[in-house]
Amino acid sequence: MGFSKFLILSPLPCKVICVFPSPSSKRSPASISGTSTPSTSSHLCRDFLSFSLSPAAHLSSSQCIVGHRRCSVCQVHQDVQPGDSSRASTWAAAAAKYARAERELKPARPYGAGAAAFYDKAEVKALEDKPQQVIVACSSDRGLCGAIHSSICKHIKAELAGDASKAAIICVGDKSRAQLQRTLAGSIIAQVGEVGRKPATFEDAGRIMTFILNSGYEFGSGKIVYNKFKTVVSYDTLEMPFYPSDAINAGEKIALYDSLDADVVQSYMEYSLASLMFYTLKEGACSEQSSRMTAMDAASKNAGEMIDKLTLTYNRTRQAVITGELIEIISGAAAV
Amino acid sequence: MTFWRAAGLNYIQYSAIAARAVRQALKEPMKSEAAKREGSAIRIIKWKDGKAIKE
Repeated sequence: MGFSKFLILSPLPCKVICVFPSPSSKRSPASISGTSTPSTSSHLCRDFLSFSLSPAAHLSSSQCIVGHRRCSVCQVHQDVQPGDSSRASTWAAAAAKYARAERELKPARPYGAGAAAFYDKAEVKALEDKPQQVIVACSSDRGLCGAIHSSICKHIKAELAGDASKAAIICVGDKSRAQLQRTLAGSIIAQVGEVGRKPATFEDAGRIMTFILNSGYEFGSGKIVYNKFKTVVSYDTLEMPFYPSDAINAGEKIALYDSLDADVVQSYMEYSLASLMFYTLKEGACSEQSSRMTAMDAASKNAGEMIDKLTLTYNRTRQAVITGELIEIISGAAAV
Repeated sequence: MTFWRAAGLNYIQYSAIAARAVRQALKEPMKSEAAKREGSAIRIIKWKDGKAIKE
């Protein structure tokens, strides 16, 4: 019985598998004259796909199966490749925004410190005959920043767990609105959108507080729930209290301050509301950017690990497929 | 009663107008730096009875 030359020629010149089976039926794969391994696996895929689609009549059913196996392996590789390049750029963008947010936080700190100190020294407390309070949830519209928004909403939900009737909520940022509207929709009096894309300005803070003052809601006290920036990897969810002018006038140590009349207290109250809102917006933005940076870092590390694991699996599968293919070819040729 | 409060403004709005006047009075390059701190991009939507009021 003769033996046949069994030649598989790919359309692209870079890969040629020539198999010359010998008369003895069993021959180890080492007798194969030459197989040039492809430089990248994508070449392998292209070769094989174009070969399997060619009108060449030599396709046996086993080669089709091997072709399908190769295609699924290539799919994995093609999915994995783009992830590598986009890793560095997303982290760099987050880091740049964080640097800017931290820079803008520094001059904003005195605004918050000054107003908070006034309420502290004058020992202003919530009015007892006006239990209504305004709660401002200081978050933003953008996600992928870890537990930033959910920690604010958890804090508010825990506070209003018993009784939500005496609170009016203002959701600064879509993320807090989305989380609070499920259970506390009845208490929400306003939502503020387009927060977080551009850095907050004092005018933003002023408009939010003007809305509260003009809303006609009679409140005895208020608070802004925000994330205070501690370090790049940590932040605290805190409350910043504010009070209406009759609460200020009823403050115990208000007499410490000279030359206060109703007009001055009213004006200062309005101004301190805007200052506190501005301060909490800046703190919140800085916490959010730092949290986003750490979250992106963790995400890209996880993605990197996954890419490495998948690459190993891919290579092993590819080698197994090639070995199986060779064995089939050899045994097929030997049977002829 | 100050003139601006009599006109219906509150202190926040009054100081915002004054700040805008100061920014416009600045010289370059301080003027362009200050212009970055101006402007407001937020949108406030009122809610009533658990739903936003569509305008």
